[in-house]
Amino acid sequence: MQRPIVTVWSLLAVDVSEKDRKRSLVVMRQSPYGSSLSRASVDLALAMGAFEQDYDLLFMGPGVLQLVAAQDSEKIGVKNIGRILSSLPLYDMESVYVDAAALERYGLNEASLVLPVKLLDDPSLRSLLNDSDHLIGC
Amino acid sequence: MLLHTLNAGPDSTSFLDCLRSAQKGDAIVLLGEGVYCALDNSAARKKLDESPARLLALASDVSAAGLSDKASGIPLIDMDAFVALSEFYPRQLTWY
Repeated sequence: MQRPIVTVWSLLAVDVSEKDRKRSLVVMRQSPYGSSLSRASVDLALAMGAFEQDYDLLFMGPGVLQLVAAQDSEKIGVKNIGRILSSLPLYDMESVYVDAAALERYGLNEASLVLPVKLLDDPSLRSLLNDSDHLIGC
Repeated sequence: MLLHTLNAGPDSTSFLDCLRSAQKGDAIVLLGEGVYCALDNSAARKKLDESPARLLALASDVSAAGLSDKASGIPLIDMDAFVALSEFYPRQLTWY
C-alpha cells in the first residue's frame, strides 16, 4: 500500500489561534527571468496567501527587477512575473517593501513599478528583518 | 538576532546585500562559495572584518576550497556546531 504523501500545502494550513499567528517576510532577491527561482518564490507567496498566512514581501538587490512595469514575457514562453505580482494585493498580502538603494542603483523609481511599495533605507531594512517572525530567502 | 548563511562569492550582489543586512547581535556563517569572502588580504575580507556581526565559517567547505591557512582569524565550525547555531538564533536568512 502506498504511503500518503504529506504536502507542503497541508503543513502550511495549520490552524493557529490569532495570538500565535506568526508574520513571515519573504525576501525576493532574484531577477525575474534569469532563472526559475523568481517564479518559485512568487508561487510560494501565492500559496501563503491561499492558506491565510500573514506575510510581507521584501524585494532586494536584483529582486527589484521583478517589479518593473510593462514586462511582456510572452515571446520567451514564461509567465509574466510583473503581472502575477501586481495581483498579489488581492491575495491578502500585507505590504511590499523595496530596497531603496537597489532601486536607485538600477535607475528606477516607484513610478516604474507594477504596484505600490514602501521604500526602505538600510537601517529600516535591518529593522524589518529583525522584527519578522520568520524569514524566507528566495 | 539573525543567523545569516552566506553561500555566494565576493563578487556577488548577495555578498554585498548580506553585509548590508547584518547588524550587531547577528552571525554570518560562510559556507560553499561564501568561504572565498574570507580570503586574507582580499577586499571582501576587509569588508567582512568591518561588519558588526560575528563571523564563522564551515570547516569542511574551507578545507575543500584550500583555504585552511588563508582565512586566518575566522573561527571554523563543524556541522554539529552549525546545527546548534541554527537552533540558537531565532531567525535565519540565506544568501546565495
